[in-house]
Amino acid sequence: MTIVGFLVNPIAGMGGAVGLAGTDGRAAEALRRGAVPHSADRAVQALSALRAGDIEWCTCAAPMGEDVLAAAGIDRSTVLYRPAVPTGAADTKAACRAFLDAGVDLVVFCGGDGTARDVFDAVGREVPILGIPAGVKMYSAVFAVNPPAAADLIRRAGEVPCRDSEVMDVDEEAYRSGRLTARLYGYACVPYIAERTQGGKQVFEQQDEERAKNDIAAFIAEIMIPDTLYVFGAGSTTARILERLGLLPTLLGVDVVRNGEVLARNADERTLLALLDEHPRAKIVASPIGAQGFVLGRGNQQISPAVIRKAGLRNLIVVATPGKLAATPLLYVDSGDPALDREVGDSLQVVSGYRIAQRKRVVQTN
Amino acid sequence: MQTKILLDEGEMPKRWYNIQADLPTPMDPPLHPGTGKPAVPDDLRHIFPMELIRQEMSTERYIDIPEEVRDILTLWRPSPLYRARRLEAALKTPAKIYFKWEGVSPPGSHKPNTAIPQAYYNREEGIERLATETGAGQWGSSLAFATGLFDMECTVYMVRSSYDQKPYRKSMMQVYGAECIPSPSEKTRSGQAILDRDPDTPGSLGIAISEAVEDAASHENTNYALGSVLNHVCLHQTIIGQEAQQQLAAVDAYPDVVIGCVGGGSNYAGLAFPFAGDKITGKHPETDLIAVEPSACPTLTKGLYAYDFGDVAGLTPLMRMFTLGHDFVPPAIHAGGLRYHGASPLVSRLAQDGVIRPVAYRQNEVFEAAVMFARTEGIVVAPEAAHAVKAAIDEALRCRETGDAKTILFNNSGHGNFDFSSYEAYFAGKLVDYEYPAELIKESLARLPVTG
Repeated sequence: MTIVGFLVNPIAGMGGAVGLAGTDGRAAEALRRGAVPHSADRAVQALSALRAGDIEWCTCAAPMGEDVLAAAGIDRSTVLYRPAVPTGAADTKAACRAFLDAGVDLVVFCGGDGTARDVFDAVGREVPILGIPAGVKMYSAVFAVNPPAAADLIRRAGEVPCRDSEVMDVDEEAYRSGRLTARLYGYACVPYIAERTQGGKQVFEQQDEERAKNDIAAFIAEIMIPDTLYVFGAGSTTARILERLGLLPTLLGVDVVRNGEVLARNADERTLLALLDEHPRAKIVASPIGAQGFVLGRGNQQISPAVIRKAGLRNLIVVATPGKLAATPLLYVDSGDPALDREVGDSLQVVSGYRIAQRKRVVQTN
Repeated sequence: MQTKILLDEGEMPKRWYNIQADLPTPMDPPLHPGTGKPAVPDDLRHIFPMELIRQEMSTERYIDIPEEVRDILTLWRPSPLYRARRLEAALKTPAKIYFKWEGVSPPGSHKPNTAIPQAYYNREEGIERLATETGAGQWGSSLAFATGLFDMECTVYMVRSSYDQKPYRKSMMQVYGAECIPSPSEKTRSGQAILDRDPDTPGSLGIAISEAVEDAASHENTNYALGSVLNHVCLHQTIIGQEAQQQLAAVDAYPDVVIGCVGGGSNYAGLAFPFAGDKITGKHPETDLIAVEPSACPTLTKGLYAYDFGDVAGLTPLMRMFTLGHDFVPPAIHAGGLRYHGASPLVSRLAQDGVIRPVAYRQNEVFEAAVMFARTEGIVVAPEAAHAVKAAIDEALRCRETGDAKTILFNNSGHGNFDFSSYEAYFAGKLVDYEYPAELIKESLARLPVTG
């Protein structure tokens, strides 16, 4: 028997249709513009497949969960939290805390990036979380690809492995004014099912994210050149390389290493530029971030166009696990400098194992 | 218009062609793995029969094919040479595309061309059992077929990723009476050592070779048989190229371009060596001999020409060849037969001397070519052979640009009737375009193969 905590952000996804790009703090405005809450529909679709499952449901009252479960035909659930109306971030967090107190095995939420961030704030890595996609933007990698996939993952939550998946912090105010700043906010544990359509081999290479990270780290550690500055971007794959070198990584930030020594931790753009002035021979090791797989830009803003130009684009080494690459058929670049993005070209080599790389297609967002 | 050019059974070549006779200088000798000194025939006697060791080191230009071997080869030989007119039409190329079709053998590939003589010579010297490795399963099922005909036992160590991917190859070996074990296995010390280090390894040809060599060395009645790489294996395959020369001569043609895929190198050697001989000796100095390999395991295009072991455990003699390092475990591409860290010393030597020209392709473009071939010529080729198809198509397209009506010959080394899971993955968009990160490695100079 799996105990699942389930919550809906009833206002998630409303902003998109009425041109608000996110609904954080704008629910009333969205409703006034005629938005219809639809996150519930996506959740009902996912959950109705679980009607007969061996799952004990914990949820929140009325539109924040209970109604959706009932609409999906799941009439036995325990209401652990009653939100104020209209609901907000505080309700999401309070509901998650109630779920944890009740000993849930998995927290399932229906919402967007904002909801993901709130759930992650409350749950952290204590139990796995899983998003049913319903928001305006989905930059976080904690969402199932669609409601049926979510149902499958919930059903098998007890038996499938979890992987580190990025939670992104998207500044909605900036987004509404046409700028996207998506910062890597943290890594949640998310259940996942390895691709099995390709027969034996893909399973070998995708099921074990930890093994893949270790292989990548072993390879990069092996090819590191003395007297060269190494700028390591954010993320758990690059972090594993630093660990391999016996160094302590900044998971969410950029670290700089030279000859086995950390020269800067969680460095900002200015620090990076200064270090590059001092040590012009440099390599940048970065990993695609988020659900879409952004190599440059989102999640790694410190590694700015100026930093990349100084190090030289040809000194960019992209690393990612096969599992991550299978989930992101295309890679994106959005460095903020369209000319630089164009220089990247239409494909990139991505190191995905020990002496193994993949050629991946690249899409420029500008 | 003629599509197939056929030879009578009586026209099948009676001798193998040994390219060692036509090399300007002798091959560098294999080195003993323990002493690092040139290996002598006695070093190999515990795993190979004397006649094969003699062939391995021979510099005679022609070696007779025993009558009993020729009799068995007529089960499918001479193999047909096809003119791929429908492919030519689809490509709108002025080029003439010919292919030698080796998929007509009972196990479905070129491999029995050497499996039969290897089993024969072993039986002649009193050996009762053969141990071997197989990547995609073509070699394993061929040796199973051959040993069955000579009433011998056979144990095949099959690379684990292929064992899971291609269950019917395993069944075929069983039908022929052989035992098939996924490698690495717990049956050998070298397999166990790999599993201790890495229980989830997909395996590799290099690992499976270690297991089979160890099995042979530790059983009195057992010898080892290798399906590619070695000189005598390349020798046995030259029946392909010799037949092709006769068949082309029958229509007054000689190829401008000769193409084959390279894993260990034997099917390539089989087709190309007779033409390479013509090139070296000045009879046809301009022939473009193209060796096609996967980008995931680009031994000839990105490897080093150096002494290296043939296997992961370092049990084989050191051979001078192009290598990516014997510890390299290539990614599990679908062309399992091309996942080998090294390449035949003879093929390597010809690449080093510039006689042949290696190129590398990625998986998706290779399967795209294979699908085009199936839709024009009807044959669903093995993923390995698809590499040769891809290069042939590219050459033909180049001819369309230049207007050059070249004669292109490629070796269609086997059918893909056990490879539909690979085609399915291609259509589902699930094939990964692996690449060997050669520039990163070269720059760091971190990878220098161990040379003993």
